[in-house]
Amino acid sequence: MGSFIKKNGPGTGVASRQHRQESFEQAPMYVAVMTYLGFGIVTLFGYFRDFLRAVGIEKCHLAQEREEQKDFVPLYQDFENFYTRNLYMRVRDNWNRPVCSLPGPVFDLMERVSDDYNWTFRLTGKTIHNAINMGSYNYLGFAENNTDFLKTVADKLCQYGVGVCSTRQEIGNLGIHEELEQLVASFLRVESSMIFGMGFATNSMNIPALVGKGCLILSDEVNHTSLILGARLSGATIRVFKHNNMHSLEKMLSEAVCSGQPRTHRPWKKILIMVEGIYSMEGSVVRLPEIIALKKKYKAYLYLDEAHSIGAVGQTGRGVTELFNVNPADVDVMMGTFTKSFGAAGGYIAGKKELVDYLRSHSHSAVYASAMSPPVTEQIIRAMKCIMGNNGSTEGIRRIRQLAENTRYFRARLKEMGFIIYGNDDSPVVPILLYMPGKVVAFAREMLERKIGVVVVGFPATPISEARARFCLSAAHTRAMLNQVLHHLNEVGDGLCLKFSRLKYSSCPDLHEETDSELGS
Amino acid sequence: MALSDFWKQLSWFYYQYILVTALYMLEPWERMVFNSLLVSVAGMAVYTGYVFMPQHIMAILHYFEVVQ
Repeated sequence: MGSFIKKNGPGTGVASRQHRQESFEQAPMYVAVMTYLGFGIVTLFGYFRDFLRAVGIEKCHLAQEREEQKDFVPLYQDFENFYTRNLYMRVRDNWNRPVCSLPGPVFDLMERVSDDYNWTFRLTGKTIHNAINMGSYNYLGFAENNTDFLKTVADKLCQYGVGVCSTRQEIGNLGIHEELEQLVASFLRVESSMIFGMGFATNSMNIPALVGKGCLILSDEVNHTSLILGARLSGATIRVFKHNNMHSLEKMLSEAVCSGQPRTHRPWKKILIMVEGIYSMEGSVVRLPEIIALKKKYKAYLYLDEAHSIGAVGQTGRGVTELFNVNPADVDVMMGTFTKSFGAAGGYIAGKKELVDYLRSHSHSAVYASAMSPPVTEQIIRAMKCIMGNNGSTEGIRRIRQLAENTRYFRARLKEMGFIIYGNDDSPVVPILLYMPGKVVAFAREMLERKIGVVVVGFPATPISEARARFCLSAAHTRAMLNQVLHHLNEVGDGLCLKFSRLKYSSCPDLHEETDSELGS
Repeated sequence: MALSDFWKQLSWFYYQYILVTALYMLEPWERMVFNSLLVSVAGMAVYTGYVFMPQHIMAILHYFEVVQ
């Protein structure tokens, strides 16, 4: 059996120095067995408790049908409700924790306790101060409340107010929106761009405007819900290819081009390949040069969702197109969000001028959704100008370099300690695999006791046997903070037996060099 | 001193057992139910082994014609 590593090698004809291997190491067999055992035991107890509730020995705290409706089709018997009632509710103190400060590198949490095993909570009134924040998507540290930096935002707030009270199409098209759109287009080096008020809505409302019935969407296995929702709303045929697997994608493309639509065999009106720059649950980076080569060969279109990668990867923060040295004009639709690296809210779609002009009048989000709020727009403008280095300031470049250095250091130290980490060495999203449901919960609680806030994800968002804790690094984290987090991770990892990795990783003394890691088992 | 170390080690093992079998997520009375079921099943297995082992060993030895 041995340890199995899937390696995605470097792309064709690109400077491989930036390209490191991605590894998705599999855990030993006993870990999978024990994960399923744990889930089995909790499921059995779930059935037992449901029986007690049905018989009436225990009071049901969740929604229930009324007596008169007991003979109708059951509403709460499906697996999702069972899972929520019996697994999620038991341990839900690890999610939705109330935060009462800005989500910077350290933050404050409100302490809450439960007297009846997490059915209800009450706040004790105490605050946990200065917990280290390893869960916010604050990649470049722009979630800050320094009054000097926010001066322009305060000015715009006084000038425009907070609400726009209209949609872009009616009377909500402010000058500041146009300024931001030109800035985004010049940042991404494309012809033109359009911004929207909400990142999720950018995907789900614009894909229906681009494709419709008679089109084919080839989407990656682990795409985000917003992409999947947009694809389903559009009414196009959706086919899923294996995650980052170019053979699977090529097979689907050639089959689509040869056979055409399912029954009539007419050619597809459009073939759209939907991928993300960095996949947030896996930490892996898309293989852009190969996808562009495939897209040109089979005459398909490419939709690139750079929610997590814009601002966070690349030499000057321009995303995966810069990371792989690819011409931005090759990507047909570039989409991204401002929630992550820019510390604001909203999304953009960028590309050729005809595309963006079409979306201005045909996209649901442009026509019906309220426009972006002016202070938020100004925050994005100032963040983007900072990254681009206007006025000769080097603050942006410093942050990007700091993020890259933090990423390299953190990932290398975690691998050295023996945790199983997924994803590319360049990605600031670091998932640590925890597998067993009991350990997932214990991990979150232990880290909170040590004043470190982490995000743990379990079944519906990840495969059932691969629960993980997801760390999001930030340029605002100092080396001291990272060392503290690593120290606690080491202790918790030993205390909970989380170090499943069977690969030996030796880091060279100077972690700034990029020599190859020794992967032996 | 050795006894307190022993208790610490034992409670660490119990903690690992609780985590791996996901009993950590359950309420204390459910843990008690599961533990008593497990202990009773294991106890019954040990008792059966204790009662029947001599007979089984004699039968094996008889089969291999080591004793008559």
